[in-house]
Parts: sequence; structure tokens; C-alpha cells
Amino acid sequence: MFIGRIYKAALGRFRSSLQLRALAYTVALSGSALVLLGGVLSFSIGNGLFSTRTEQAELESHRATFAVSRVFSGVTGTNQQQLSKAIAEVVPELESIGVSQTRQVAFLYSGSKNSKKYSSPKSTNFDLSLITTEFRARVLATEDIESQTVQISRGGESIPAILIGQRFEVPKGHPYELYLVYDMYNEQQTLGFVQRTLVLGGLVTLMIIGFFSFLVTSWLVRPVRDAAEVSEFIAAGDLDRRLPVRGSDVIAVLATSFNHMADSLQEKIKAMRQLSTMQQRFVSDVSHELRTPLTTMKLTADYLYSEKENFDDLSKRSVEIMHSQMDRFDQLLADLLEISRYDAAGVKPQYEVHDLNGIVGSALESIQQFADSKGVYLEVEIPSGAVQCEVDVVRIERILNNLLTNAIEHSEGKPVKIRVAQNETAVAVSVTDQGIGMNDAELAQAFNRFWRADPSRKRTTGGTGLGLAISIEDAQLHSGVLEVTAAPNLGACFRLTLPKRQDVAIEDSPLKLALETES
Amino acid sequence: MFKILIVEDDDALRETLEIGLRSNGFDVCQAATGTDAIPVFEKHKPDLVLLDLMLPGKNGIEICHELRQTSGVPIIMLTARTDDNDMIRGLEAGADDYVTKPYKIEVLVSRIKARLRPIKQVQHTIIKLGPIEIDTLSHEVLRNGKRVSLTPLEFKLLLTLASHPNEVFSREMLLEQVWEYTYKADTRLVNVHVQRLRSKIEEDQEDPKLVLTVRGWGYKAGPE
Repeated sequence: MFIGRIYKAALGRFRSSLQLRALAYTVALSGSALVLLGGVLSFSIGNGLFSTRTEQAELESHRATFAVSRVFSGVTGTNQQQLSKAIAEVVPELESIGVSQTRQVAFLYSGSKNSKKYSSPKSTNFDLSLITTEFRARVLATEDIESQTVQISRGGESIPAILIGQRFEVPKGHPYELYLVYDMYNEQQTLGFVQRTLVLGGLVTLMIIGFFSFLVTSWLVRPVRDAAEVSEFIAAGDLDRRLPVRGSDVIAVLATSFNHMADSLQEKIKAMRQLSTMQQRFVSDVSHELRTPLTTMKLTADYLYSEKENFDDLSKRSVEIMHSQMDRFDQLLADLLEISRYDAAGVKPQYEVHDLNGIVGSALESIQQFADSKGVYLEVEIPSGAVQCEVDVVRIERILNNLLTNAIEHSEGKPVKIRVAQNETAVAVSVTDQGIGMNDAELAQAFNRFWRADPSRKRTTGGTGLGLAISIEDAQLHSGVLEVTAAPNLGACFRLTLPKRQDVAIEDSPLKLALETES
Repeated sequence: MFKILIVEDDDALRETLEIGLRSNGFDVCQAATGTDAIPVFEKHKPDLVLLDLMLPGKNGIEICHELRQTSGVPIIMLTARTDDNDMIRGLEAGADDYVTKPYKIEVLVSRIKARLRPIKQVQHTIIKLGPIEIDTLSHEVLRNGKRVSLTPLEFKLLLTLASHPNEVFSREMLLEQVWEYTYKADTRLVNVHVQRLRSKIEEDQEDPKLVLTVRGWGYKAGPE
């Protein structure tokens, strides 16, 4: 598990660092090249050593043959004792001869095995099983020297050796075979040494390559890294950042065009910001300027409305219409102003600890009359204890009012369910209706300004179309989230999740964002 | 009959306000510019001032300051700008309450009535809060024997808190009991007036000992 984590961390680091990757590839590729080179070198050196040794062994074998001939030079085949003595002398004679200290000798009688007259002497450590019947057949078939590589054991260690065999005839035509074993212990040692040197040299070379490629990649990656850093700063809003331009190479060209891009980006953003500020101020100014005449009109309309019983029917109806439309205009202006304040980031919330149950309760109380007029039953499911949270109560009640009004309006007379819940980090309210709902395209627009779910439907409450847009701003102001899910003709579920305290982050919502199921 | 001074530069609105207030049984006097406001106030001695913040001549905040030099008369600001800074500065200058345009005459009248309603008579006692003595009948407040001048609203705020020492009042409760709001209102009204009250009764305003903030909840009158 621990190793797995290290592996994952290393993998992550490897993926995220260009330099590390470049370094790894360079070292891996150089490493493979070095292994290949080492392999070839070691193979050819080994081969060279082997063939030299083989030649030497064959040369020595010729000399040995000559020496054996000398042993038998004075011997006539008739003197059996003399012949036996000469045969016995062959092995010691050859063992001591030549430059190689480690020659094993066997002088074997080729005739029928049970001849007592002709012994088959050999060096004590000569392992006769090395001479295979196949090799022996080859030796017997030719006048010349035959050779073969074999493995012998020495001190428990298996080392390569050369077995040389030759036919020999002692006087009176008795066939003998002379076998010599030249071990290649020294050559083996030399090859091992060479191989170790190659490995060590390879490793040192690899480290040097790694070090140099680290230097080179650092040098190459630094400007790229600088560019990434500067673009992060620019992305974070520090638009004045630029890359230093050094020299006139491709990196300098990159820096120049990067700076160029940043310049034009900065200009565009500045222009857009100005435009946006101007627009926001315009909306805000218009809203403000409209307020004084609106106040006068509203006061007048209110006065006329209170006197409406004194008017004839037509005038009375006109006053009623004017009065109601004045309220709508008022609400629209208030919402516009609220939105423009959010746009100008001029909202300062007033946080206090409240019981969410209580806020929901008072929101329900104020909406009850509207629900009754629509024949909509409000079903409430709240926890028994207090659901404390740090909120700007006016804004939260405004959100709830909006959600409840929307739900009742679109519920088509079916019950609306209100739930409250809490967990360690968050509190939540959900408002679920089973009315006309929304399709996916409508859902995507639900929080857009002046958007209405179904334009063909009659407006009954005269909402401003800004309600949800303000609600989502209110929620975000609290570091909360307002989400919605809906399906056509199944209804919609809005869920508001708020952090318990402003210094706490929401881990997850205590309520589900789901529609009521028919069961 | 209560007399109300309307300081408002928009003629049509001023006239409409006058109609509205008169039909609700108030006497009205008017000032159309900031410079007229103080002379008209001194001449008519109104019971309450409705003050527009944006005025030619002298702005509402300056007028507020000047009125508070000599008088504890209830002041309600009429603001077209819901611009928070202006509104807060008005409250800090001594305005008791504010109403944002556009308002309904009923709302305005209920705000006016709340400010004109006398403090509910209680048994005559002297409430002590540290070095402060509050006379519930004469509405006199003494600090170490010296008289402290509080506006009626500030007195009501102090009395409400001091009548129940160590009991926490949320801002909503104070809005309801002191300002007589029946619906959710701007809790900054409370914050600003607590600050004003502290500046008059506390020894060190930055380190209050009498009116204490209970973080996240509200305020309470401090330990005896």
C-alpha cells in the first residue's frame, strides 16, 4: 500500500514534469545504447579470448604429440615391460610440459577393453565422461587433431575448457587415443573482469549523461516554465506580468510573441471591463433615477386606490389596474437594482446565527395565502431540533420565497414538499413540486435572467423573471449552492445547501436532489 | 397633531407626500433645499423629520449632523440610493431609520408612528448598569452622576438592553422591540445605533464594557 502510494506519487511527478520526462528518456535511451555496446564488446572480447586459447591449445597439442613420440622413440614393440613403462610415462610427461599449468591428460587404449598388457593412464582429475562417444568416433575417424569445448568443474565451479583428442599408435601398431583438457579459467577470469569494468564504466557514463542532460534540460525548460508561471499569474488576474526576452533565439521569439499576446489580451480585457462597468453603472443609474418619479406615482396610485370606492366603475377598474401594475414595476425595479448591485460586487451580507427551521417557517407563513388560493398543499418535513446556520436572513428568506412561489405556480395543484436537514458542515432546504417540470434545455436556462419556464403560460404572480437569478447570487454569496433537477410533467426539485458557518466549507448536502417518486 | 418636516427637492414627490401624510392625519411643513432645512426646522419645531439624502445646497448627511447638535428629534431618511455607504453615513450622522424609494405611504406612516410612539410607561425605577443610571420615568441617563444626552431611540435601545442584563438580544429582536419592525429589516440599523450608543455611554468605545457584542448572535447589556 505504502509502496503503491510512492509509485503513484512518482508517476504523477513523472507525468507533470517535462524535465523529469526528458531526463528519463535520455537516460533510458543512452542506457540501452550502452547495454548494446557493452554486449557487443563483451561478446567479441570473449570470442577473441576463446579462439586465442583454442589456437594455443592446438599448438600445444602438436607439441604434446611430438613429446609422446619421443617417449616411444626408443621402445620396440617386443619388449613388453619397456612398452608398459613408456605408456605409464606419457601422462606425467605431458602434464609437466607446456606453458599451461593446468593441462589434464588421458592416454587411452583403443583396443579391446580387457587387455591387461595395455593400461590406460590418465591425470587423476580427468573426468572421462567428458569424452562422449560421438567425439571419440570423430577422433578415431581422423589422423588430425579434434577439438571441442566442454564444461569442467574446478573447486565446485563450472568453467569452460577445451578438449583435444588425437589418435596415436604405440609401437607394434597398438591404437591409443591421447586426450588433453585445457581449462579456460584465466580467460574466464579476464572476461569477468572486462565485463565488470564495462558495467561499471557504463554506469558512470550513464550518470554523467544524466547529469549533463539535467543541466541541458534545465536550461531549455526554464523559459517554458517561466512562461507557464507568467501565464498562471495572468490567468489569476495579474495582467501586468510579462516574460523577460533574452537574446534572439527561438525562446526569445516565444517570449516576444507571448508578451504580445498578453498585451492585446490586457487591452481587450480592459476595454471589456470598462464597457461592463459602464453598463452596470447605467443600469444602476437608470434604476435610481426612476425611483423618485416612481415613488411619486406609487404614492399617488396608492392614494387613488384607497379612494376607489368614490369612482365610477370604469375609473375604479383603471385605478385597480394602475395600482397592481405599479407594484409590478416596483418589484421589477427593485430586482434590477439588486442584480446590478451584485454585478457591481457591491453586496455586503449581514451574517447572524439563525434556526433554518424558523426561517422556513416564516417563509411558509408568508406564502400560505398564495398556496391556498392555488389549492396547493404544502407538506413540510423538518428535523425536530434547531438547524443553526450563519446566514443573512433577509436573503435566505428571499430565496425560499422565490422557490416556494415558483413551486406553487408550477405544481398544477399537486402538493409541494419542503424538506430541511443538516449534517456536520452544511444545512439544506429542498422544495419539490410534482407539476409541469422542465426539460433539459429549459433546465439549463432556469437561472438565467428574465427567462421563464414556459412563455405560453399565463403569468399569475407577475414575477419579474429575475427571482432565480437573484437567488443563485444570494446562495453564492453565502458560499452555498442552489441546484435544480427536473423532468417534464414530473416536477422540479430545487435544493439550497448552505455552510453551517461562514468559515466552514460544505462537504456534501444533507438532502437529496431528486424528484418525488409516484410511490 | 404631530407636525412633520419634509425635506425633499422633488416638487411632485414633496407634494404627494404632503397629501399622503395629511390624509393620514399629520401636520406638514416643507423644505425644498438643504439650506432651507435648518431654518424651517427652527421655525416650525416639527416632531419628526423626513429627510431626503440627495439635496441641492446641503446634503442630508450634513443636515442630520446639524440637527443632532441641538435636537434628538426622530429623523427618517428617504433614500433613492440604496447605496449602502450613503445610508450608513446617514445613520452614523444620527438618523434613526430609513425608508427606500419607492415606498408605500402605509409603510412610511407606520415608520413615522413607530418613531413618534412614546416609550411604554413602566414603573419608575432607576436601572443601574455599571457607572450608568437610567431613570425609567424622566428618561434621564446619568454617567457617574453626569447627564448623558441620548436621542429617544438611543434611550429606548439602552432601556431595552439594560432591563434584561446579560440577556442576549438578536438584531431582529432589537429591530422588533426598539424600531417596531414587524418584518425583516436591515440589521445594520442596530449595528450603527449600538455604535452611537456606545460612543455616548462607554468609557472606551473600542473596548465596550456595557453594551457587549455576542458574536453571531447579537448584543447584551454587560455585567453589572
